[in-house]
Amino acid sequence: VGGTMGGAALARDLGRTNLICVDMGGTSFDVSLIISVRPTVSTETELEGLPLLVPLVDIHTIGAGGGSIAWLEAGGLRVGPRSAGADPGPACYARGGTEPTVTDANLVLGRLDPSHFLGGEMSLDGSASRAALRPISEELGLNATTLAEGIVAIVNASMADAIRTITVKRGIDPREFGLVAFGGAGPMHAVALAEELGIREVVVPWSPGTFSAWGMLQTDIRHDLALSFFHSLGEVLSASILEAVGRLESEGTALLAADGVPADEMSFSRSADLRYVGQEYVVNVPLTEDLDATSLAEGFHAAHHARHGHATPDVPVELVNLRLTAIGKVARAPIAVEPRTIGGGGNRREVVFGGTKIDTPAVLRGTLRAGERHRGPVIVEDDSATLVVPPGWEAQVDPGHTLFVVPLT
Amino acid sequence: MSDPITTEIIRNAFLACAQDMNAALIRSSYTPIIYEGKDCSVAILDEGASVLGQSMGLPIFLGNLEACVKHTGEQIGWNFKPGDVYYLNDAYVTGSHLHDATIFAPIFWRDRLVGYSATRAHWLDVGAQDPGGSMDAHEIYQEGIRCGPTRLHEGGEPCEPVIDLLARNSRFGRSLVGDMNAQIAACRTGQAAFERILERFGFETYDAARREIYRQSEELERAAIAAIPDGSYSAAGVLDSDGHGSDPLPVRVRVDVQGDNLTIDLAGTAAQGEGPVNVAYAGTLSACRVALKLLIHPDRPVDGGNFRTLEVRVPPATVCSAVEPAPCQFYFTPLGLVIDLVITALSEALPNAVAAAHYGDSMVMRITGKDPRDGSRFLMTGPHPGGWGAWAAGDGADALINVINGAFKDYPIEVVEHRYPLMVRRYGLRQNSGGAGRTRGGNGVVRAIEAQAPVDVYAWFERSVMPAWGLFGGGAAVGPDVVVNPGRSDERHFLKANAVPLAPGDVVEMRTGGGGGYGPAWERDPERVRDDVLDGYIDAEAASQRYGVVLLADQTVDAVATETARARLLEESSDAPHRLPQ
Repeated sequence: VGGTMGGAALARDLGRTNLICVDMGGTSFDVSLIISVRPTVSTETELEGLPLLVPLVDIHTIGAGGGSIAWLEAGGLRVGPRSAGADPGPACYARGGTEPTVTDANLVLGRLDPSHFLGGEMSLDGSASRAALRPISEELGLNATTLAEGIVAIVNASMADAIRTITVKRGIDPREFGLVAFGGAGPMHAVALAEELGIREVVVPWSPGTFSAWGMLQTDIRHDLALSFFHSLGEVLSASILEAVGRLESEGTALLAADGVPADEMSFSRSADLRYVGQEYVVNVPLTEDLDATSLAEGFHAAHHARHGHATPDVPVELVNLRLTAIGKVARAPIAVEPRTIGGGGNRREVVFGGTKIDTPAVLRGTLRAGERHRGPVIVEDDSATLVVPPGWEAQVDPGHTLFVVPLT
Repeated sequence: MSDPITTEIIRNAFLACAQDMNAALIRSSYTPIIYEGKDCSVAILDEGASVLGQSMGLPIFLGNLEACVKHTGEQIGWNFKPGDVYYLNDAYVTGSHLHDATIFAPIFWRDRLVGYSATRAHWLDVGAQDPGGSMDAHEIYQEGIRCGPTRLHEGGEPCEPVIDLLARNSRFGRSLVGDMNAQIAACRTGQAAFERILERFGFETYDAARREIYRQSEELERAAIAAIPDGSYSAAGVLDSDGHGSDPLPVRVRVDVQGDNLTIDLAGTAAQGEGPVNVAYAGTLSACRVALKLLIHPDRPVDGGNFRTLEVRVPPATVCSAVEPAPCQFYFTPLGLVIDLVITALSEALPNAVAAAHYGDSMVMRITGKDPRDGSRFLMTGPHPGGWGAWAAGDGADALINVINGAFKDYPIEVVEHRYPLMVRRYGLRQNSGGAGRTRGGNGVVRAIEAQAPVDVYAWFERSVMPAWGLFGGGAAVGPDVVVNPGRSDERHFLKANAVPLAPGDVVEMRTGGGGGYGPAWERDPERVRDDVLDGYIDAEAASQRYGVVLLADQTVDAVATETARARLLEESSDAPHRLPQ
């Protein structure tokens, strides 16, 4: 959830309203959404198969990461969901792993620098990666490079499907979103994901591997208050809704005051859970200052249509809950940019793109200056992650050291 | 020529597409039986109605969405048009009951019919003689409005008179239309996803990929069947009755394995019953597929390459191959038995893959009446969980929904109490109901509901004549029971009942059966038996009588008394024949 909070902070700082946040690590891939500068929140979720009726950031997870293992089943190539994790980890970690992983494939493709992994703190064994790929290579009659590209393509497609699932559920089009990539493996795959989904901007924050931790420091104090309020929308008076919301607001004010938040740093957003009579699931609709039942009902029909693909305006609507989010603003830690030029990087190597080895420069993120543009193919490395910019895309450095990767056409 | 990378990307894309369809259906449906119970299923099919991707959901719908599309295609001369949406619920086609609405849409790409997005969901009421369906029908005509292939949308426009006809003939017409729209929305989601896949890869690549996907599934399944020793394996069981008080009805299963072919023959199964205990052939075919899937690669998704070497033979007009006018409301009752019997039949051949019988049926309870809070008619309907059979490596699960229902979820108590004038007084595990064994059968549940207004109770509880049996010397479970006002002077018991009136304050208590045990009970580690007592799964008396484990006053195992008791159990058992694992 830290990454999503970071995404929301980034959206605010960069003036972006809609972002898809993708966090790819060793074993899992998490997608979440920022819509209108706010994380999408579900009023219900599942934890270990049990339903929880509490507001939570909506995160969709699949088992795909750098450690995902490629394997064969009846002559078919599969990637994941089993992961080599960090121990033994990918074959190239040389810690006893013998099965090929996504990280091994990236190494074979030249996307990782074997002598400069984790800012040079670990070296990778490329021959172990190639050895691990060999049995599948032979079985399928594909050379190591084609197989490695294939493994990456399969895992990318699965991640793109996961992004579609979370956006389709919300009735939104991913092409209208920017993609924020973080986690150790996120920036390596992000541009390929954007290409697959038709997304035209990839945002890579400073230090992607620790972005989630930074995100946790960007949160405000937040209290979510809810009041059961079962009423038919046709019958309830606006005044009684306002009165009930007013009670929530005094409660929220008291809670924030107890947290030591001064009055001018408090803000409140009010909403209502509505549904058609007979439904169990609710749709959350914001409550405006000058609320009236007609506009609330219209807002609900529109939100229902956006979310579910249909609305039934002639069916009565009922109120289920009134909600108040009380926010206390907290001073935030800025991103600590530490330009440095520790070993490695600054070299050139052969990287495979679309089946062809291309002589590609590798630059150190800490040496980039605001306003610089780097045309793909280029690899940008830092201590925690490696960004791959393929041909046809360009990385732009903004004054806050965030990288934007955009298509050239 | 299909390359393995594109093939895998396309395979994953179809699986994701079915998931998205399912999410669209569940999120926008009206009735709890779909959004809470998940009594629904979706699939994306190719133009020959083979499965490209299928979601979780009710496993018993494995394979009969295809049957519905094929039946419709044959009836209309395969003359599907873009923008059409079809509905059908004829139980003799679907192998289900009239409440299960199959809705599907043909998918076109560049003027070519490429496939179908298909959904099935349980509608609350389709106009049977009793609300939500009858427990005591004699003919299918009493069970609701029966529709063959019927167009709901034509060229993208709704066929309002048809939708109006369906809505008018339901006691809950509004929710029927809501659920119908949710199913249509899910079909549209599937359509869009299929088109996107073709747009990206083109028809030729997709076509090569799906053939390869089917080939892989077929190869894996053939290899698994070939590994089963050739032979003929049998098992037999009974249904309690036809629902009108008949004698128990036998169901017989013979599984013939030869090389990589597997035939399941139900010869000797009872003729179709007078009551609603029947199922059409399509349902029996699905049940056999589910049984096979439970034994072979249960974690792999199903596609058009599966079940190619499975043949299912059923003589005509039996409880498992019903024809007009046999009522089919409880179509799933024989199916749960068929699945347990196929698994039991194969237990000698696959001792480590099989489980003992489970509690067997959905144990449906329906409560209807008028809600005094607003005078509206309400209907609560749903199945009950019970105990599952033990297997070689572990105890059976407690309180799990039956095999027919798969992902079906129980209603939260809060939902029941909020929506209906009912109070849940008790809901917990039913101690001692699982069969004893080296691994123990799971326990059933006890749920007591108090009426807060005058209501009618309908019940369909099964597997009392032959409760879940054990394997390899494991014990049988305790069967089900329904009790009204337990402990009061007017206490009464039944299993199947139509419209039993309850007054406010009356309590109906449902008790479901457990699962069978696996292996002799006296081989269970005494410490595990002690844990079962401490955890309340069994009591101290069952520990001593069934497992031969005697506990001391401080709840530790009395080693000496245990040894004596176990020797006695072993001796008694040598009189009774039982099979031992190979």
